[in-house]
Amino acid sequence: MAGGHHTTSLRTYALTRLALALPMIWILLTMVFVLLRVAPGDPISAALGGRLSPEQLQARREAAGYDEPLIKQYFEYLGNVVTLDFGETIVDNRPVTEVIRQNGAATLELTIAAFLVSLAVGIPIGLLCGRYRDTPIDIAGRLFGIVVYAAPVFFLGFLAQIVFSQWLGWLPSSGRASPVTTFDLNTTTNLYLIDSLLSLNFPAFKDVLEHLILPATTLGLVIGGVFIRLVRVNVLQTLQGDYIEAARARGLSERNVVWHHAFKNALVPVITVIGLQVALLLGGAVLTEQTFNWPGIGSELIRYLNNRDYIAIQGIITFFAVLVVIISLLIDLVNAWVDPRVRY
Amino acid sequence: MRGGRFVAPIREARGVPKWVLWSGIVITTFFVILALFAPLISPYNFDEYQTASGERFGKQQPPSAEHPFGTNVLGTDVLARVIYGARTALEVVLLAVFFSLLIGLPLGLMSGYFGGKQDRVLVLIMDSLFAFPYLLLAIVIAFLLSDKIGQGVFTAAIAISVVYVPQYFRVVRNHVISVREESYVEAARALGAKPGTVIRKYVLQNVIQSVPVIATLNAADAILTLAALGFLGYGIQPTDGAEWGYDLQRAIADAGAGIWWTGLFPGLAIVAMVTGLTLLGEGLNDVLNPVLRRRAIQDVVLPAQPAKAPVEEVGV
Amino acid sequence: MGRSLRILLLTGAALLVLAAAGCGGDDGGGGGGGTIVHGTTDQPVSYDPAGSYDLPSWNVIYNVIPGLLSLPPGGNQPEPALAESCVFDNPSTYTCKLRDGLKFSDGTDLTAEDVKASFDRVNRINDTNGPSSLFASLYKEAGKVTGQEVEVVDDRTVTFHLNKPDATWPFIMTTGGGGIVPSEYPANKLQPDASAVGDGPYKLAEYKPGEQTVLEKNDDYYGDTPKNDRVIIQYFDKSSALKLAVENGEVDLAYRNLTPTEIEDLRSADGLSVVEGNGTEIRYMVFNTKLAPGKDLAVRKAAAYIIDRQAIADNVYNGTVQPLYSMVPQGIAGHIDAFKTMYGATPNKAKAQQALQAAGVKTPVQAEIWWTPSHYGDSSADEYAEIKRAFDGSGLFKVQLKSTEWDQYSEAYAEDQYPIFQLGWFPDYPDPDNYLTPFYSTDNFLKNHYSNKEVDRLLADQKASTDQAHREQDFRRIQTIAAQEVPIIPIWQGKQIAAVRDGITGVDQTFDPSFQFRYWLIEKS
Repeated sequence: MAGGHHTTSLRTYALTRLALALPMIWILLTMVFVLLRVAPGDPISAALGGRLSPEQLQARREAAGYDEPLIKQYFEYLGNVVTLDFGETIVDNRPVTEVIRQNGAATLELTIAAFLVSLAVGIPIGLLCGRYRDTPIDIAGRLFGIVVYAAPVFFLGFLAQIVFSQWLGWLPSSGRASPVTTFDLNTTTNLYLIDSLLSLNFPAFKDVLEHLILPATTLGLVIGGVFIRLVRVNVLQTLQGDYIEAARARGLSERNVVWHHAFKNALVPVITVIGLQVALLLGGAVLTEQTFNWPGIGSELIRYLNNRDYIAIQGIITFFAVLVVIISLLIDLVNAWVDPRVRY
Repeated sequence: MRGGRFVAPIREARGVPKWVLWSGIVITTFFVILALFAPLISPYNFDEYQTASGERFGKQQPPSAEHPFGTNVLGTDVLARVIYGARTALEVVLLAVFFSLLIGLPLGLMSGYFGGKQDRVLVLIMDSLFAFPYLLLAIVIAFLLSDKIGQGVFTAAIAISVVYVPQYFRVVRNHVISVREESYVEAARALGAKPGTVIRKYVLQNVIQSVPVIATLNAADAILTLAALGFLGYGIQPTDGAEWGYDLQRAIADAGAGIWWTGLFPGLAIVAMVTGLTLLGEGLNDVLNPVLRRRAIQDVVLPAQPAKAPVEEVGV
Repeated sequence: MGRSLRILLLTGAALLVLAAAGCGGDDGGGGGGGTIVHGTTDQPVSYDPAGSYDLPSWNVIYNVIPGLLSLPPGGNQPEPALAESCVFDNPSTYTCKLRDGLKFSDGTDLTAEDVKASFDRVNRINDTNGPSSLFASLYKEAGKVTGQEVEVVDDRTVTFHLNKPDATWPFIMTTGGGGIVPSEYPANKLQPDASAVGDGPYKLAEYKPGEQTVLEKNDDYYGDTPKNDRVIIQYFDKSSALKLAVENGEVDLAYRNLTPTEIEDLRSADGLSVVEGNGTEIRYMVFNTKLAPGKDLAVRKAAAYIIDRQAIADNVYNGTVQPLYSMVPQGIAGHIDAFKTMYGATPNKAKAQQALQAAGVKTPVQAEIWWTPSHYGDSSADEYAEIKRAFDGSGLFKVQLKSTEWDQYSEAYAEDQYPIFQLGWFPDYPDPDNYLTPFYSTDNFLKNHYSNKEVDRLLADQKASTDQAHREQDFRRIQTIAAQEVPIIPIWQGKQIAAVRDGITGVDQTFDPSFQFRYWLIEKS
């Protein structure tokens, strides 16, 4: 960034960012509200259209209050969000907070597992590619990263299901756990892996792990592909840095230079980019959940979209929006703490 | 001068970046040709289900001489749908990139150059949009538009472009901000050049440089987003055009029945086209980005020595 | 880097060891012993009888919260269930006597008070997703209860005072809306799903929305004990996942909604078989009798001659549906193959041409036919493509296909925007009235301006008569007129189809026109 800016303290930066986060959330909320109210259709026609006469449908719509003035609904909506009262879904009378809690936990489990896989895949390969630039290792690694990211997650998932479920029969094809295990499991956190450990239910742990492998690996591979590229670029830039030259000049072995100096510093910027990947993960989670029948919040969102359940949709998207804002805020703070040049 | 900025580095490229770039160009060109000349290349139309004499192709037929990629559940030829799918992909992606640039570029330019309150508000809005999970945003917008203007190429393109406008805006704005502080820009302003002139002559030309890479990588992403929309059912209807994501969705039901050809080929097409565009984008980045660029090592040629004037010997 | 890497590897190894420790336990596939796992893509709305009108909710309600009357397996007339006997005192008054000693699954007594509370709350709550419209003959106005409609005569006797004669009232009582719940249920809002209580063969053990519903045998049930101890209903988002699951044995039976392709493939799979039964879900094509070309009777007749139902059933649905020759499907008492009698079972181009010529209609007739892509499943596209092929192929019609999504479609068809359009119907109960009044009465659901005084008279007549033979006579007459005037062309009737793993019996017994899935008949050997 050109020009001479003095670096502000971390605290000032944090407060400024926080102050900015609030309007951002408000804009997102308004966007969500406007988009949904403009949306076509209503949940009643979606569910009962064709089974009731048009007059009966209209009577039900009026009774449910879908005809009230928009402004009134808007302020009600804002007020509800502030008090965290997201209401109940229209099509199955579930409190939206319960939907978020239960299904959100399922998505959380999937995304964390996928994230771990993506780190395990992306970072080592990215480091290797950067280190051995333009060699066959680099080319293979980059190509792998590109092709894996180019494959839609539902295509990879569908191939994985065919191979590992249908042909080889090694792993189950869908769901978080087998039906009987789901019933037996004592759920406290709703993260089944943790719950099964907490209740020392090892057969359940194995069952849940088996169900988690395919979806987590599929999504993790795709995101890992992006990491390969990012880590590689960072390594390349780091390796061109002056202090690396200095280290080499001092006579340190290439291995020493690369491992102890370059890699550590190359990984630091990666943390900040991880924040961007969260948005990617959430989007990918929706597709993965559809492919593997994972009862996460992405699947529920699609289901509620198809049923025009705007209360549910509103609640879920609001939750996502706020979540992403908070995460990017945290990432920015970490970034600012690490790299003072970023603060303004 | 403008062309030279692009062509020279490309010609100078050596080694791996060169291969990356050229393989990207080849693959992308292949798909562009498929898209442009679809009616000439494809043996059938994308919704054709019977021969001229009225005999049906048959549903879900395995690959054969008449149907190299087989037929799908609607009784249409898979190869035709793959080829026309390239056309749909190209249409949507070009439209989407065009829309995103149309909005993102000027906004980024103005916002970056003039700054002030409008800038802050715009940044806030764009950051909010950018933070949002792009797929969810695209789904909601496609879903909304589909009822107003029907599901089709335009709806998909608009939904996708809304997702990418913030990216263009950000990149352009950042670039403008750094260029704005350069001394030659200051000099121009000191000389009394109007903002419009400054932007046009100096800032824009500088900024345009980064656009091709972003646009190409965005195009790759856009194809994936289009396929995702199609997979979820918010994309293009099969009677309006061929779309790989939609075909994949119908194919999933086929896979369990051992019918692999309806899903494998559209899936591979997506992988190939996105890979091609990504290689192109990465290649361009490697080659144009001064940080990463590796100049070819050229032999140093000293200028020819002028003929030495005879030295007169002076008696010592 | 080295230290943290080591820790990471150790943790990973530890997890693997734990997973291995889980070996030897239940492999998790299908239920063991007395547990049946039913995989489905349908998800329920509510387990409160006052809050649901959909099949998946009703399926559980039938098994957990039955009503005074029910439809026996294989039968199509209501029989006493919780009631010992029910009788029409006169066409507007219906009295039921409860069995002695009935208890809810929570141990409390089931009395006439509970019956009154159950019916009243359905109408008072008038839930958006609920069945209050079914009780139109009992309550004058939805949402308002005077208290006089359901009369508690004594502890075990209840009298229903209908506001107009309704011979279908016993059928209405067999629907999910007629489930009897404790009077402790909230009078003004729905009971939470997880706390559903009734007096049925099962009690609700657990409900995890989006994942599974678990039913367990109810030892307090007055009737026959179920042939299994527990039922787990497992939800799947996509039918392809369900298909893989039933092939792998992860579920014992897959019922609703496998695609025709999937079913075709499952027929040749190992370890399972495909079980079929007469279904009562129907699809049909409607003519708006005020718009061209439907306003010409000759055009409608020609279409009835041309339509190739068998081609649709075979090519599009792989035999998972059967041709429908009347809006009242086969299996329902009172059904006749009216269209087959009048127009034949196979396309007859000659007769169609005759009809058009006789009326002086120019061919080819321009016909704009509308359909909707997702509401009725992916096969709608194929079905209407097939219809277009048949119509265009005859040379007598030139069809233009158009489609919109359900949101717009469901309003547009009722507003004279579509000359010819696709629709489907899901019955509330298996009585012909439920298949005729909504479509052929003067103010029908379809808003296609069809009106016939004779039909109206017959509809009112059958509704007021409690003599089954007399009603069936009326029904036959109505169906014949319907075929003569052809405001609607019935196309197909769905079959109830399930993929059932070997060793599971009883599914075929419950596949009957009631559309109720009776878990208590399913046995696992």
